[in-house]
Amino acid sequence: MTIAWRGTELRLLLPVLVLVPLGFALTHVVASGRLDPGPLGLAIAYVALVVAAHLALVLADHRGDQLILPLAATVGGVGLVMLNRLPQSLTGVDLFGLQLGMAATQLAWFALGLAAMVVIAVFLRDDGALRHYKYTWAAAGAALMLVTFLFGAERYGARLWIDLGPIGFQPGEAIKIVLVIFIAGYLAEKRALLAGALRQVGPIKIPPLPYFLPMLAIFAIVMGIVVISNDLGTALLFYGIFLTMLFVATGRRSYVLIGLVLFVVGSFVAYQLFGHVQVRVDNWINPWADPTGAGYQTVQALYAFGRGGLFGEGLGQGLPLIAGQLPIPAIQTDFIFTAVAEELGLVGAFALLALMAALVVRGLRVAILAHDDFSSLLAVGLTASLGLQTLIIVAGNAKLIPLTGITFPFVSYGGSSLLASFVVLGLLLSMSHRSAAEADAAQASPA
Amino acid sequence: MTGNIRRLAGYLLLSFAIVTGGLTWWQLVDAHQLATRPDNPQVIAAHRSALRGSIFDARGTLLASTTVTAGLARRTYTDSAFSHIIGYASLLYGTTGIEHAYDDLLIGQTDPNPLRNLLDDVLARQPQPKDLSLTIDKRLEDYAAAQLKGVVGAVVAIDPVTGAILASVSTPTFNATPISGDPATATAPMAAIQANPDKPLVDRVRQGMYTPGSIMKIVTASAALDSGTITPQTTFPDQPKQETTGFVVDGFTIREHELGSTRPALWDLSPALQVSSNIFFAHVGLKLGGDRFLSYAKRFGFCEPMQIGSGDRAIPVTASYVTRPASGGGCSPFSDDVELASAAFGQAQVTVTPMQMALVAATVANGGVMPAPYVVSAVRAHASNPTRGPSATILQQPGGGSGHRVISSTAAAELRSAMVDAVSGPIGRIYAGAGNVRLYGVSGVATAGKTGTAQRSGNLPPHSWFIGFVPAQGGATPTIAVAVIVEGGGAGSGEAAPIGGKVMAEWLKLAAAG
Repeated sequence: MTIAWRGTELRLLLPVLVLVPLGFALTHVVASGRLDPGPLGLAIAYVALVVAAHLALVLADHRGDQLILPLAATVGGVGLVMLNRLPQSLTGVDLFGLQLGMAATQLAWFALGLAAMVVIAVFLRDDGALRHYKYTWAAAGAALMLVTFLFGAERYGARLWIDLGPIGFQPGEAIKIVLVIFIAGYLAEKRALLAGALRQVGPIKIPPLPYFLPMLAIFAIVMGIVVISNDLGTALLFYGIFLTMLFVATGRRSYVLIGLVLFVVGSFVAYQLFGHVQVRVDNWINPWADPTGAGYQTVQALYAFGRGGLFGEGLGQGLPLIAGQLPIPAIQTDFIFTAVAEELGLVGAFALLALMAALVVRGLRVAILAHDDFSSLLAVGLTASLGLQTLIIVAGNAKLIPLTGITFPFVSYGGSSLLASFVVLGLLLSMSHRSAAEADAAQASPA
Repeated sequence: MTGNIRRLAGYLLLSFAIVTGGLTWWQLVDAHQLATRPDNPQVIAAHRSALRGSIFDARGTLLASTTVTAGLARRTYTDSAFSHIIGYASLLYGTTGIEHAYDDLLIGQTDPNPLRNLLDDVLARQPQPKDLSLTIDKRLEDYAAAQLKGVVGAVVAIDPVTGAILASVSTPTFNATPISGDPATATAPMAAIQANPDKPLVDRVRQGMYTPGSIMKIVTASAALDSGTITPQTTFPDQPKQETTGFVVDGFTIREHELGSTRPALWDLSPALQVSSNIFFAHVGLKLGGDRFLSYAKRFGFCEPMQIGSGDRAIPVTASYVTRPASGGGCSPFSDDVELASAAFGQAQVTVTPMQMALVAATVANGGVMPAPYVVSAVRAHASNPTRGPSATILQQPGGGSGHRVISSTAAAELRSAMVDAVSGPIGRIYAGAGNVRLYGVSGVATAGKTGTAQRSGNLPPHSWFIGFVPAQGGATPTIAVAVIVEGGGAGSGEAAPIGGKVMAEWLKLAAAG
């Protein structure tokens, strides 16, 4: 038996090994004005974690995609450098007396996330548990959402947190994955029926309703709770994932078009009904109508983009303070991309988006190579969650769509989001491994 | 399904490309505009320690300058009469007036020459701050401010031919220096200014919205003469009787607010303007019709925001209205004949800024052509020692642009003659005679003018108004047009007219002295 050395993965990790410590050193030089690298502990720990994850995969003789980890590790590395550059007092954790700054806390979550990824990638050899209990998963997801809605703590005007002692947990991130599993299971089973026999009603063709209703009902419940708990970003993301998976399963653009029309109608109703939706939309149309109040965040973000220009102001040299405060609220979460774009410029922003786009392409490749419909749809849904999340937050930051609070995968500060993103990678790697192993087996025993 | 996934990949990559396009817009295309907005923290930080160009009056007297000590820029203003038109440049409260409109040049963020601007960008050169020269003569500004001492009001004077603003004073004024200095000590003086019930921060010339009263009759008469609705000889048959019984429009009785010692007669334009007959102008307004009245008012600049100067560096002037403002901007149509007849003598829903009314006077003075107002005459290279006057190097002369014709020269000449009668005629001198420059030591010059006594709701005393221009004798080219308001000052003849006359006389004297 030959061992998979995963050489491509190792070579692609080399830039991370260099860039992250370099980014930390540069931040220190700019901040202190002294020409020494400063404390590199967190950077080295990050590099070590990533290499450890790589080695674990090698030792487990993992045959999965070799680009996924390096791409995510590079994006995550940029995020950690940015979080280390921001004032550490922005947030952090008091873990039973142990004070962790923002970057240190994020690093702890990286460790947890990478571990989860490796465990899932290596030990999830069979997806039967995911496939066969889809209604259980759906019920669990809905229950989790309901619990959040009833008992969750409200932060930043949205109720999407459950406080667990020193740390908060965002159930939405877990629900996202559970939802994808459910939709993949359902669509894989009913795909032929949904894609086939359309009933002609007047000029339009409609899908066979009985197959659709259970899924729509569960989905409507989840969406309803999301909208009521004022988490528009998650609602938009879930809906986008749903439409994407529906499109891939059926190949019908008409479903997506109907979905989009429904979305527009729904948005209009939400605009009429909910004050917070109106504020978001009005702000999107003209943030300068109230530049120091409701439009402040958007206006300041656009200024940051403008200051960044093509090459950026340089690490640690952007983000001028207003009265001693960073100009953009939530800079470490919803607006981290703005900070990247300001300090690393359009070039850096492009690079970060290109890395995410590449990750999406690799995820879809896993979907194409998957051995059955369920795995394929699961990979599509998981990959779409990463891609759409990136698109929604960046488009929101850049005022292309109304701003919704959502994280940039691997970059934004936040444990739940980071952990969920690595779970997604773990699932992708596990599926990728199975496809590769099957291909090997097929080669080894020619018919 | 593989095909579907490939298509999905295509759509997602397309979305990434679109988002990238959006970023390119903010970070490259629109970046300069964003980077120079005054509330951009980068701009605020740059202003904190940045040298700022000086501002001089028309004769090179220093009005505003900046010194940088210990990394903190301090702005000093020499004359509080200019506080509204120049405004302030505060690290804490932003910029207003000329300081706001010319911020990019004063701070040296841009250069008036686009080529040099590009060169600065390419070479990453920091452009130098620029100085400004104003059209206002400090002597006239101070004189006007002295006339308004102790009252709440405004004086604006303009060269009717060029549109150059000669004086622009709003009272009460405030000292702009403390609020523009060290942010740590700026809040207390600002709080004191804001606590004053007379609202010193409001520039009444540009932002004051007042009922005009009888000075509006100049707009009504302009429209009527130019459109041929009336001639200077037109009379209305029922006038004499209505002078005593009132003129009933749709059940609403219009009366003269004050007839003085005159008795009812059959008046044409000149005497009607001399006694300021509401009934005569109500007739004129109704004959003119609402649509035509509105269209002439718009040609005078009503119904839309105005500006001093042009382009990116214009200073905004609040819109004046003939009728209720329409929800989408502009004036709504007259609701009925009562409103039309009342608006014709400056009541009902008419609200005006002093700037607007000075331009009405200037239009009549300038043969029917409304000049484009401007206040910055030159952008100059920065003088390192501003106390020794401005640099000789002029980089740009913004000017006011060309004016536009509002009424024919014939109509303007007829109106000018009637406005001279309104000041000097047998009856007119009782009402607007106090605006005559002859009273203030200038002889051989005819004065054109019109007073207004703007009724206010409740039992508040009326606003006192005067607009006018000199020299107004036939063939002479007027050199100054004014609008004066004294809030709650009572009859126009009492407070505003003498101030207008004195300011115009002072300007003629200053011009004669050279």
